[in-house]
Order: sequence, then C-alpha cells, then structure tokens
Amino acid sequence: MDLVQKEHDRLLKRLKASQGINNVQATIDLLQSARDTIAADPNQAAVTLAKLQNPVKASLNSINDSLKETHSGLNKYTKSLDKLFKDRPLPSTEHDALSEQEHLINRAIAMHLLREGQFSVAATFLSEIAEKKAFMQNHQSSPASPEQATSLLDLDEVPSPEIRKEFASMYYILSQLKEKKNLLPAIEWSCENREALEARGSNLEFELCRLQFVWLYHGESEPGQNAPGNWRAAMAYAKREFHAFIPRYLREVQQLMGAMAFCPNLQDSPYSSIFNNSTVWDDVAQFFTREFCSLLGLSADSPLYIAATAGAIALPTLLKLQTIMKAKRTEWTSENELPVEISLPPSYLFHSIFVCPVSKEQATDANPPMMMPCGHVIAEESLKRLSKGSRFKCPYCPSESHMKDARKVFL
Amino acid sequence: MAAELTSIKLNPESHLILDQPLLRLPHELARRNFKTVQRVVEREKEYVLPALKEAANASLSNTHTPDQTLAALDAMISRMQGLKRKMQSLQEEEKKIQTQSRKRIQHLETLHKIPSLADVKYDQWSRVRLDRLLVDHMLRSGYSESASQLAKERDVEDLVDLEVFTQCQRVVESLQRGETKEALQWCGENKAALKKSQHNLEFELRLQQYIEMVRTQDQSKKIDAINHARKYLVSYQDPDSKEIQRAAGMLVFAQDTRAEPYKTFFSQDRWRFLSDLFVKTHHELLSLPSQPLLHIALSAGLSALKTPLCHSAYTSSSSNSQSTTTSVCPICSTELNELARKMPYAHHSKSYVEGDPIVLPNGRVYGKARLMDISKNVGSVESGKIKDPTTGEVFGEDEMKKVYIM
Repeated sequence: MDLVQKEHDRLLKRLKASQGINNVQATIDLLQSARDTIAADPNQAAVTLAKLQNPVKASLNSINDSLKETHSGLNKYTKSLDKLFKDRPLPSTEHDALSEQEHLINRAIAMHLLREGQFSVAATFLSEIAEKKAFMQNHQSSPASPEQATSLLDLDEVPSPEIRKEFASMYYILSQLKEKKNLLPAIEWSCENREALEARGSNLEFELCRLQFVWLYHGESEPGQNAPGNWRAAMAYAKREFHAFIPRYLREVQQLMGAMAFCPNLQDSPYSSIFNNSTVWDDVAQFFTREFCSLLGLSADSPLYIAATAGAIALPTLLKLQTIMKAKRTEWTSENELPVEISLPPSYLFHSIFVCPVSKEQATDANPPMMMPCGHVIAEESLKRLSKGSRFKCPYCPSESHMKDARKVFL
Repeated sequence: MAAELTSIKLNPESHLILDQPLLRLPHELARRNFKTVQRVVEREKEYVLPALKEAANASLSNTHTPDQTLAALDAMISRMQGLKRKMQSLQEEEKKIQTQSRKRIQHLETLHKIPSLADVKYDQWSRVRLDRLLVDHMLRSGYSESASQLAKERDVEDLVDLEVFTQCQRVVESLQRGETKEALQWCGENKAALKKSQHNLEFELRLQQYIEMVRTQDQSKKIDAINHARKYLVSYQDPDSKEIQRAAGMLVFAQDTRAEPYKTFFSQDRWRFLSDLFVKTHHELLSLPSQPLLHIALSAGLSALKTPLCHSAYTSSSSNSQSTTTSVCPICSTELNELARKMPYAHHSKSYVEGDPIVLPNGRVYGKARLMDISKNVGSVESGKIKDPTTGEVFGEDEMKKVYIM
C-alpha cells in the first residue's frame, strides 16, 4: 500500500510538472511569429519558412518527450497496483448463486436502507425497482418462463408499507431521544407494547422511566447546581409513575428514592453512578433499537452490514481454499458445509454450536444432539453407531445406558 | 483467549480483496485518457510537419503566392490551437481522475491504521464499504438514481464510479430499445482497446443492423443489407466466415421462420444478448469484475455466518427474538433468511455454548446465569420458578439439570 501511495504521489507530481500544453503553446508562438514576419514582408517568406522547420519539429518532439514521462509514471503506478493485488484475484465468477435471487437481494437492500433511516433513498430505490419491473413486463418478448413472470409480480419482494411505517416511527423516537433528549415517545411506545416486552423479560420500560427521572432531576441546567424545583419535578414524576414498577423493581426504585436523601450533594453519594453516567443515553438508544427490532422479529444490527463485513473477513480464507483446491484438483466432500473453518470475531457468533465430540460433525435437524442420562451429549448418528441396539458405555464417563434413555436437546 | 485474539486480527493487505476495482477503474480511465492525448498529438504532428515542409518548398520555388503561404500557416495555427484546447480538457479530466484516485488511496490507507476488527473505527470503515458495495450493486442493476442519491447522502461520491456506470447504462438502455447507434459509437471510441477483446462486440452489432434490414423483407432494403454486409461484415471474414455464410443464407428466410439458426437471428432476444455482451466487454475493458461486489461479499458472508440452526424446524434456544439477552442472528432475520437457504453453512470443529449450560425438562439448553436473569426480570414468575424464554413454559428451579457439552 505504501508503494502505491508513493507511486501515485510521483505520478501526480509529474502531471503537475508536465510541459505538454506549454510546448503546444510554444509551437503556436513560433508559427504565429513566422506568420507575422511574412505578413509584414512577403519577400522573407522562403527564408522564414526554411528557418521555421527545425524549431517546430523540436517543440513538437518535446511534447512527445513530456508524454513519455507521463507514460512511464503511469506504468510504474500500474506495476505498484499489480504488486499490491498480486495473488489476490477476485474470486472466480463461475458460479454466482446470488444472481438468481436478485429480488431477495433488493429486498434486503431496501430493508437495510429503511433500518439506517435512509427513507428517501429507499423510496427512490423502490420506485426504480417498480419502474424496471414494468419495463421488463412490457418487453417480455417471448412469453418467458412463467416462473420468472411470477417472481417479478411477487409483491412480497419489497418491504410492506407497514414495515416502512414501523421504521419511520422508530426513527422518530430515536431522533427525539438522541437529539432532544425527549424520552416521552419512547416511553409511550414501550407502554403500548408492555405485554410483549414483559413476556420477553425486557425491562426497557423501567430503564426509560428511570432515565426520565434522572433527566428531570438534573433539569435543563448543568449538573451540580440543581435547583430544588428539578428535584421536585423528579419526585412528582416518581410518585405518579413508579408505583407500577414496585412489584418487579422494588430494589431499583428504593435506590432512586434513597439517592434523593443525598440531594444536592449526589456526586459524593454511593448513588452517583446512576445519576452521572455519560454513556447512558447511547446505551438506552441501543437498547431501544434492539427491543424494537426484536419485536418485529428482526436483528438489531443490519443483517446486510453484518453479512457483508463477515464476507470481507472470510474472503481471504475462501480464496486461499479456492487456489489450493484448484492446484490439488480436489472438490468439496461435504456439500452443505464449507470445507474450512473461518474464524470470525466473537461478536459474530449468534448461535450455540454443537459439534459431536465423537463424529466431529455439526448437529443438524436430521442428526440432532442427544443427551445420555449421565448428562453427556453426542449426535444421534454417533449414538446409534455406539449402542447397536444394546446397552453401551458413555464414551466420556463410566456410566452405561440404553439408546432409548437418551433425550433430544435443543441448543 | 488466543483464538479470540487471532479472530479479531486485521490483516489490511489481504482485507483489500474487494477493493481492487476501487483503484483499478480510475487507473484504467487515466490510461485511456492518456492514450487519447497521445493520439491527438500524433495526428497533429503528422499534419503540421509535412504541411510546413510543403509550404517552405512551395515558397522557395515560388509556386505559392504570399497569401497562399499565409493561409497555410493560418491553417496550421488553428489546428495547433485546436490541439491545445483538446489537451487542456483532457488534462482537466486527468486531474479529476487523479484527485479521485488519491482520495481512494487515502481511504484504503486508513484501514492500515485500524488495529483490530473489534475496533470502532473498523466498524465505521466497514459501513463505508457497505455503502460502496450497495452503490455498485444499484448501478449495475440500473438503479442510477438511487445510487447517486445514496452516494450523496453517505458522502462517498469519490469512492464510487457513478459516471462510468451511468454511461454504460445509457448504452444498455439504447440496446434494449433496439438501437445500435450508441453502442457503435462506444466501440469507435474504444477501438484500440477492443482489438484485444475476445468478444466481437462490433461485429455482432453490425450483424444486428444487417438483420434489421433483412427483417423488413423489402427488396431495396435487402440490397442495402447486402451492401452493408460487404462494407462492415466482410472485414471480419476470417474469424467469422461461418457467421457470414449464415447471414447470407438469412436473405431467403422471413422472420417467422422456424429454421435454425435463422430463427435465433430474427429473435428479439438477440437484443438482450447484445446488451449482455456489451456489459461484459465494457467491464472487461475497465477491469471491473463481472458480478457485483456485493454478491461476492454476501455469498462469503452468508456462509461464514450460517449455522444448521438458522433453517432448522425448531426454534433455537441460543438466539431468538423471544429473549432479551440474545440478539437475533442476522441469517435468521427475515431479510436474509431466504437468501441464505441454499448456501452451505460454516464449518466448526469445536462446540460453542454458553457457560454453565443446563437442560430443562423439555430438552432446551440454556446458560444457567442467563436463564436465571431472564426469569428474574419476567414479572409473572414466582421465586423458585424459572421460565423457558423460548416456549414460555414454567419449571421449578430444581428441575434444571446440568448438561455436559464437550
């Protein structure tokens, strides 16, 4: 990369110093002055023109020289690029499984744009898709395969207006929360979805209300110079709202009330961390986004972003694999599984993984993990192979059991 | 721990696989630009020098009047001035390309300063990359308006090639409308580079013009067609003689013929073939990959993330939307689920489960701490009881059983 940068710097310098146009101008000047001389004295024509030959030739040649220099600069830069990307070709394009699923990709992109709050881009994108679809239908020359026609007509390929509305309201709430520190829309939303949130064991509503309490306590002014009025507002809010939380969050409410006893010297109290937490707004915003998306059955971060990033991380390994396989002329033995392990950062692991310790295969629906009475888990196929229909010893401990005693577990 | 450290290591050089076209494309443009400069300079040089010599000889032998000499000089001056103008505009172009290249190099350079994949800066960088990939995908699919809007809002205009793709798209659209003019013009502009191309785009375009003339079944048009074939097609005689014989044979068939290969010749699908061929040639010339980069990144990413649980008939205990302590897996999320269905899943050689796993009477496995945490937060569960966050069943705490996963 350093080399590329250096060569590019050099190329730029050369371009700046390039005399090409000046040389052209010099040629023009030569011709012009010769013309003036001849116009003034036509008798001089033959001499002037004869004298002109060599200088014009020289200045035209110097244009070529400066071009040559630029050319060598360009070539050096090409070489540095080649060197940087040597051994790193883009993966071969023989099989692009995704190109058949264009509409699914477009749907994912539209959802991603909505998630990121790019509503106007999303709208343009959707309308351009619709336009193209209409165009394709008009130009369907031969009555193309009915399959294709239905997939084009499939309305499910774009996010429904409801989803769009949901994301719009999510962005409204988030912008209120982040920019204006206005928690009320968020509290209202969590109140409306109280049952669903509670079933998830989510304490979003309480977190929001607690933050509202803290915010009221601090008031608009700088923390530290709290007017008693703000304290009163917070207490009034607590009296009005907190009783609903007491059964579940007794301890937390008690903490907040206890903290009030230290007012106005909260900084030095044991409760100061609750009241002076700089990241609390970002945390709450993130918490809210996660809960909101989860209720829609969606992941909190854009899946497209995670997948594309994971792809970039995985590509070097996959490319290496491709070259090795080509060199050794082997093929994948397991069709549904990648042949190499790709180490992604821990935050990219979302599911528990069960690899059978006996067969070293990953558990699937057809070959689920089974727990023996001793508590050890192996895959069903391994279990069958070990037991052969009779009692057998667990491969990990001395206990013996029967095939029918093993139970399927869900990770 | 060691595994964790290697898995977040960032190797910037090998991480740039997806970013080759970012530098390659402007460089190809710069080279093309340079060749144009070379060509115009050469052309003017070949005119001015002989002309000057001739004028000198003529005035020596007194065959030219002074006025004629002056006129010859004027012609030379105006041609040189034309050259200067052309060079100036090409230099402007060059400057624009190189400033863009510079910004791109700087963008890639920032990756070298990011210590690890877990860094916040990597997150930002990767988001910019995703925006770039999205714009690339949109441009290739012909959604230019969305692409330019997204590029503008995300401020990545210097990192994407709006102009190149918009021009390409214009030609594609003209071909889809059944016009060859713009495509032929493009061929003219890139004549030198096309000689190396293995696709015979220009021949196919000329052949299409011929087909359209024959299609009319009008006698005078057919004569035009023959002339057209003599002028343009025969120059390709050698590699395509079979094609030319077929083209000649076409003259006796009408467009509703069922005889091959004439049926294919007359088919409207040939226009789609032409536009695909154009795109292929165009991308090859500018060293652009033939498939969208987003597809490359996604197909690798989907597989790397996918587990057998993502398309399982049973809801996974470790990641589902019913529980607050886990986030929904991106492959399970509706956006990508269908897309990933046909992809292979990632290979793992070791089990990976939450710490201190326990099993409930219904067979569900959870980390003990997480399960206790959830049950505490769910209001409706009495103490001493736990709630399965996936199924909603309630069990006694004593019903949890330790499970050993190796």
